This record gives sequence, C-alpha cells and structure tokens, in this order.
Amino acid sequence: MDRKLRGRGVAASWYGIARTATIDRAGAWAELDDGGTAKIVTGVTEIGEGILTLLAQVAADELGIKPSQVTIGDNDTARSPEAAHAGATRQTYMIGNSVALASREAKKALFEQIADHWGVEIDTLRSFDGEVWAEGTNLRMSMEEAVATCKARGVVPVGSASFTAHGTGLDPVDGSGSPWQAYVFGTQVAEVEVDTYTGEVQVLGIWAVHDVGRAINPRGVEGQIEGGVVQGLGQALMEDYRTEKGHTTTHGFAKYILPTSLDIPQINCTIVEDPDPLSPLGAKGIGEPALVPTAPAIMNAIYDAIGVRMKSLPATPEKILSALRERGANQESGIRQGGA
Amino acid sequence: MSKLKIELEVNQRKVVRETEPQKRLLDFLREDLNLTGAKEGCGAGECGTCSVFVDGKLVKSCLMPVAKASGCKVETIEGLAEPGQLTPVQKAFHKTGASQCGYCIPGMVMAATSALRANPDAGIEEIKERLGGNICRCTGYTKIFEAVEMARAVIAGDMAPAELEEDAVGASYIGANVRRLDAPSKVSGRLKYAADMRMPDMLQMQVLRSPHAHAKILSIDTSEAEAMEGVACVITSRDVPGQDGFGVFVHDQPIMARGKVRHVGEAVAAVAAEDLLTARRALSKIRVEYQELPGIFDPQEAMEPGAPVVHDYAPGNVVKHIPVRKGDTAAGFAAADLVLEDDFSTQQVEHAYLEPEAGIAYVDPDDVVVVISPSQNITHHRHMLSHIIDKPINKVRFIMSPVGGGFGGKEDMIYQGMLALAAMKTHRPVQLNFTREESLIASAKRHPSLVHYKMGLTKDGRITAIEFNMLSDGGAYGMSSEGVMRKAAILSCGPYEVENLKVDTTAVYTNNTPSGAFRTFGGMQAQFATESMMDMAAEALGMDPFEIRRVNMMKIGSRTHTQQELTTASLDRVLDAAEKASRWETGAPVSRGSQRGDLGGPDTRAPCTLGARINQPDVAAGKEKVA
Repeated sequence: MDRKLRGRGVAASWYGIARTATIDRAGAWAELDDGGTAKIVTGVTEIGEGILTLLAQVAADELGIKPSQVTIGDNDTARSPEAAHAGATRQTYMIGNSVALASREAKKALFEQIADHWGVEIDTLRSFDGEVWAEGTNLRMSMEEAVATCKARGVVPVGSASFTAHGTGLDPVDGSGSPWQAYVFGTQVAEVEVDTYTGEVQVLGIWAVHDVGRAINPRGVEGQIEGGVVQGLGQALMEDYRTEKGHTTTHGFAKYILPTSLDIPQINCTIVEDPDPLSPLGAKGIGEPALVPTAPAIMNAIYDAIGVRMKSLPATPEKILSALRERGANQESGIRQGGA
Repeated sequence: MSKLKIELEVNQRKVVRETEPQKRLLDFLREDLNLTGAKEGCGAGECGTCSVFVDGKLVKSCLMPVAKASGCKVETIEGLAEPGQLTPVQKAFHKTGASQCGYCIPGMVMAATSALRANPDAGIEEIKERLGGNICRCTGYTKIFEAVEMARAVIAGDMAPAELEEDAVGASYIGANVRRLDAPSKVSGRLKYAADMRMPDMLQMQVLRSPHAHAKILSIDTSEAEAMEGVACVITSRDVPGQDGFGVFVHDQPIMARGKVRHVGEAVAAVAAEDLLTARRALSKIRVEYQELPGIFDPQEAMEPGAPVVHDYAPGNVVKHIPVRKGDTAAGFAAADLVLEDDFSTQQVEHAYLEPEAGIAYVDPDDVVVVISPSQNITHHRHMLSHIIDKPINKVRFIMSPVGGGFGGKEDMIYQGMLALAAMKTHRPVQLNFTREESLIASAKRHPSLVHYKMGLTKDGRITAIEFNMLSDGGAYGMSSEGVMRKAAILSCGPYEVENLKVDTTAVYTNNTPSGAFRTFGGMQAQFATESMMDMAAEALGMDPFEIRRVNMMKIGSRTHTQQELTTASLDRVLDAAEKASRWETGAPVSRGSQRGDLGGPDTRAPCTLGARINQPDVAAGKEKVA
C-alpha cells in the first residue's frame, strides 16, 4: 500500500433562512440627505460578514446613488429601530430587505416632489449613480440638486420600513410546522490525502456549491463560503474542546488547535441563484449553510482514500491510525476465518 | 512599584516614557501610546494578532517584555503608511475582501508585509508558510492569499497599481463586487474594538471564577477586597436589584453565581478598580467558602435516575426535547430492502473568534445604563438587562461595538450584566477585557452530539424510513440549547424527502462548559450523520453518491420533515453544478480512491510539508506538486 492515499467525497445540505419556527422582523429608516448622500439606520449589523457593505449596495441601488455615499448608522438600541440580532443567517434576508423597502419609501417621497417640479408622471422617473432623470425627456439633474429641490419644496425625503418573515412554531407532538419561508441548499466535494504512516489528513480541494438566492456581492459570498469551509475543516480534523470532570484541558490556542494558512485547501466556489419569491431582493443567505457539508464531505473522502469510516469527529491522526490498525486486524482475522 | 524608563523609536518617532516594568511591548503600545492596532488575541504568541516589527523583524508583541524593546526601532500597523494612505498590501486586502471581522487583520497585514519584505518574489507556498503564525477565523485565508499575491505583483511592477482600485460597476450595484466599506479602517488598524476604547475616569474589572464544576456557595466575604486602596467596588449576585436570570431561550443563568456554581469558570464575584493590577490583586482577597457537590459530566448519565440535578426546575436534567414525526416508520422499515444502523458523534467546538469578550458600561447623565460590547443580540440583551437591573427599557441602552468574530458565541449575555452593575454602583465607566483562557472556560461551545441513526432504503436507493436520535450535552446553562435542538430536529434527515421518520433531539444539563449558539445551530451535527449514512447506503447499494442523493432530494412540492410544502427548491441545480465543477468521476463510494481519474486537478493545491518551501527559489516560484 502506498504511504499517501487520496480520495474524494461529497455531501449535500440544506438550511433555513432567518429565525426558526417563529415570526422574524427587522426595521430600518432611510433618508436621502444633502449632497445626494443617504443615511440608513438599522438596529444591528456588522459582525464581519460584510453586511454594512451589502446594505450600502442595496440602499444605493434602490435610491440611485453610490454605495460610498451611504452612511449606515446602526448598532444602538437607543438610536435605531429594532432589527433583532446578528445571527441565524438572517442579516441579508431580514435587514437587507428592510433597508430596500425603507429606501423605496424615501425615494418615493423625493420622486413625488421631483415629478411635480418637472410636471411629469412619477413612474417615468429613474435614478442611478447620483443622477435623476425622466424617461423620454431631456429632464435630468444630479441627486444633490434633486434633494435640494425636494427640501426647498418643504419635504425631507425619508422612509421607514419593517420586513417580516413568517415562520410558524412546531407542533409539540409531531413537530409539524413551517419553520422558515426560505430555504437554501448546498453541496460540497472534498479531495483529501491521507498519510497512512502518521494519520494526518490534508484537504487539497473543496468544491463548494451553494444556492444563495441572489448574490448581492459575489466576492462577499465567496468569503463567507471560504470561511465556513475552513471552520468545517477545523471541526472535521483538529478542533476539540475537551474537559475532564468539568475542567478544560484545552485552555489556550496552544492546546486548542485551529486551522492555519497551511491547512487550507484550494476552495472552488460556485454560486447558484434561485431567487426567493417572497422578498423584494430575492437574496437568501450563506453565513451558516457554508460549513454544514464540509465535515461529512471530508469524512466521505477519507473513506474513499483509505476505506475506514470516521464516525466520530474530529478525525485526528490518532483516530485515523487506530481505525487503520483496527481494519488491518479485522482483515487479518477475516482472512484466517475465510481460510478455516 | 518603581517605574521603568524606556527609550525607543516607534513609527520613526523617538519615544521616551516611564512605564510599569511588568508590561509587555503590547501593553506599552496599547496603553501608554494608544496604538491599538496591535490586538491581544491570545496573550501566548499563538494567534499573531499582536504582530509588530522590532528592528525590522516580525515579533509577537505579547511575548516581549517592554524592557527588551528599549533602544529598538518598533514599527506598528499605524506606521506602515502615512495617515489616510494605505500601502499596496493594505490596498490589496481591501480589494480582495481579505478582511471580514478585521480583528486579526492588522497582525495579518504585518505578517504579509514581512513576507514580501523578506522575499519580494515569494511564491504562494512560501507566503502561506510565512503567514502560518497568524490565525484568521473568518476568511478561510483564501482572500488573504489572493491579496498578498496581488500586492507582490504590484510592488514588483508586474501589475498596474490601478488594479487595486474598485472595479467599474455596470447597470446595478446588486451583484457587483463593491469593496468592503469598512476595510480601510480594518487594514490600517484604526477601527476601535471594545478593548481598544478608553473613557475618562474608567475602571478596570476582573472576575473571580469558580474553581469547581458543581458546588454550593456557603459564603462570600468581599470585605478585605473592598477595603483595598484602588478598589472602587466588589459585586456579587447580592447586588442584583431586579429579577436575576438571562439566557437565549430560558433565563436560567444568574449574572453571577447565586447559591451555587454549576461549571468551572462561572463568574462568582467581580472587582472594579483603578487599574487592572489592583483589580487582579483584589480577587485574591475575596474569600468564598464552597461545599463541593457531586458533578455530572456525561450526557447519558445526566438522564439516569438519581443523577445529580444541575437546576432545580429541571429535575431530570433535560433542557429540551424536540420530537418530529411523519408517516409510519414501522411500515417504512418493513418496505426496505436494506436497513442500516449506526452511531455518530461530534465534539465540543470553540468559536475561537480572535477578539476575546470585552466591554464597557457607564451610566449617562440621564441615568441611562449604557453597555458597549460586541454583542450579537443587543435587542434581547436590552430586554433581559432591564429586568435584571429593574429599570424601564428606555433606561437601558446597548451599543454594539465592532465585533471581532462572533459565530454565535457572542449571543450570550455572560458579562454585560456585571459591567452594568459595577457602573451603577460606582457611577464611573467600567471596562472588562477577557483573557483568552477566560473566554475559553466562560463562553459557550458548539454542542457535542451523539446520534443513533437507522435508515431503511429500497434497492433503487429510495429512503423508506429514518429513525434519528440525538443527545447533546448542553452544559451548565440553557443558553441556546432549545433552539439548537429544534434546528437539529428540523434539518436532521437532510435535504431529502422522507415519507416516514421519527426524530428526537434532546439537550441535557451537565456541569461541563455550556454549549450554545454556533454557526449552523445544530444543523451541522445532524447532517454530518445523515450525509455519512447516505454514502454508506450508496456503497451498500452500489450507487454513485450524487445519484442516491438525486433519488431522494427535495423538490418543489416536496414535504419537509416538518411537513411544510416547499414552493422553491434548488438542490437539483446545486448537485449538477457540484458534479460538474469538481469533474466528479461517477462510481459507487467503495473506497476507490486509488482508481480515481479525477484527482489532483488544477483546482487543487499541492500537499505540504512543514518548512519545505522557504528558501527554495525554484519551488517557490511555481506550484509544487508531489507525485
């Protein structure tokens, strides 16, 4: 047998978007501001996933300005509307849609004034990248002028909105219910190399395919998938918080082993877009689902490589070697039995 | 204590200071010079968030006594570029989206800068090796590698600097790779996380934690600590004015231990003092008398009759049991050609966000209690704290500071209440920064799981029935256990339409470190078992793993395990895309790795051997492949 053996495995997955088995909600305020800029205020946002940038993209697209012209005011229970919490793969879905709806309100307030000012129908008005114009006419002005015009007519263009996701509770006896209104699906393939002398597993490639509804920032989606895959890899192969009679034996990063740059497979992302029909943006989410299939894909790949099934995570070198020895012993006794 | 005189050069400016001799270079930079770009992630040289240059060499400033840096030239993240400017490395991090939470990023930028200074031609393998001392928990490193390679090309003149600017946008900002708006603040080290913030007159808090897993508290004597010079207050559960108790689903956890401790590391008392050292010393003056109780450390034993009870309200130690039933499993198994039965287990996992818990509380001039912390749920924390401190909800204000990684681990209000109590008692701002060791024992982990699985299938791979039973160790407090069990149950049998199923998920109390919310919320543990079973079934039936999944996959109109009718479903498209993207060679999963023809493609990396790639110019330049 060769010392280093390779194999591949696949795992599929599914996940629900936003809070589970309950009604979820998020609020936002929007204001088209002087200079053709905007203020967006919402209750809870960035934990690193990139939601601030995404909200700026959404607001910019809805209002017709640039993302860099959007100021997001957030993170404060006394200064912003409730948006619940940062988790449950709900930020893009709940807060993104809430910001889209609030921005539409603010733009409507602006367009009502501009339509009247120009004497055109409101539905002929368009805006993008800091310009406002009326389709089929030569009428055009900058967003800065539009906001000034609106305010000169006595109106501050503001909007607010709340977005709701209608999950239902589970029946206490049979668990029936509709816990989410949006679901995502994913599949990952892993390619591994197992060192049968040391038991070490290296993951060389991951192909991660995830439905996100609609990718508002594809590079941001990839970042979430890559981060999720590596957390899944850590759980699959090395991470292990341990206690003895309640006392931890993994009390620091010297004992609690995490993936570093040398553990990282080439991660090949494919984004599938199956838009959500129940929300204005069509986007769903990716934060949590990204890591669900990683560990089983790796375990299936280890089986493909060395023929031992790892049913207990993490698949540490010690466990792999012990499983290989056990299989060797079983095969030998099988041969003896077969010969008898 | 006598002071130490330090003379050194920091970011090309001469610095002469008197400071405390016990300080590390990291403390001196952060506390004395307010250069907070270098972060403390572990305090043990393991994570690299504190990386700086000393005499041109990359060092972990948490390991260097400040005295040792005297006379040296120190360069920090703040000194890499002129104010308002970014270096090519920083610009490349911005361009590729290499910063997410940003907490590791100043250290990572320093390591990347060091790599390219050491070898401007460094290949990807050498870059990876040189970044090996810096941990990132968010990005999966991939965008960081891309950034360093991009910066290398720009510095070498192989790529136009304009490539580092934002891509032009088409007709919409939706679907555009807009660069992260918060990245410049992160790659330059300017963003202030809770531990980086300073307020005038601010006290430092330290927490006395339980050395026992399960013990009755007979008495707590804080008098000696309170009498110490520099101590502003000592708080215990006696200081809670309202209804004590927090938790995501059940409010079973007191702000500090009340009557008994249920896990090692549980907060028992806290001191707020003029400085950290005084607060630490005061902890040793608090006298707690414990009477140890028998502990429960195994989730199966926790359910046995006569097991020690962790919470009086739950005499059987069950936090939550979620049942899901559909169809008739007996009939389903009777119709099966193949029945597989097996057991799976997963471990407790630490979130390992690089930013340890940190926060500040103060009482504002209008008597509003304000808590600034990287909380993932300021809305719920506000509700709970208002009951705990007995104030109207508009007199409680939570501000979410930049979160240096959360992943669910910062949903639990495990320290904000102590900060609020100390601020109310002193009417001064109070700051608490966890050490890594403290974070590890006091914060929730991913639920470990034991799954017993039984799956019946027909010869053509169709699942006829599933029995799925998961037992999870919830640890000492409820935290998110109820929700995690619910999500695990709903998702349990995977993205497959199963006519007959019986699913039970149960979390129990033990005296272990609590389990709580962690990215996937139970979904990963459950689907690890399901996806392993799917491959075992495919092997037994001689089917390709994609094929057996297609036979069973949910489609539009399918009824989920909780009998919800799906109006959209994309798994068919996702499976097709994965099969194509991975160049998957069809075949049953019969341990056929050695016969595969689809291995080692250009979309995989080379395997690595530690230390093999530095100073090997021919290897570093290209993509090394080991046969």
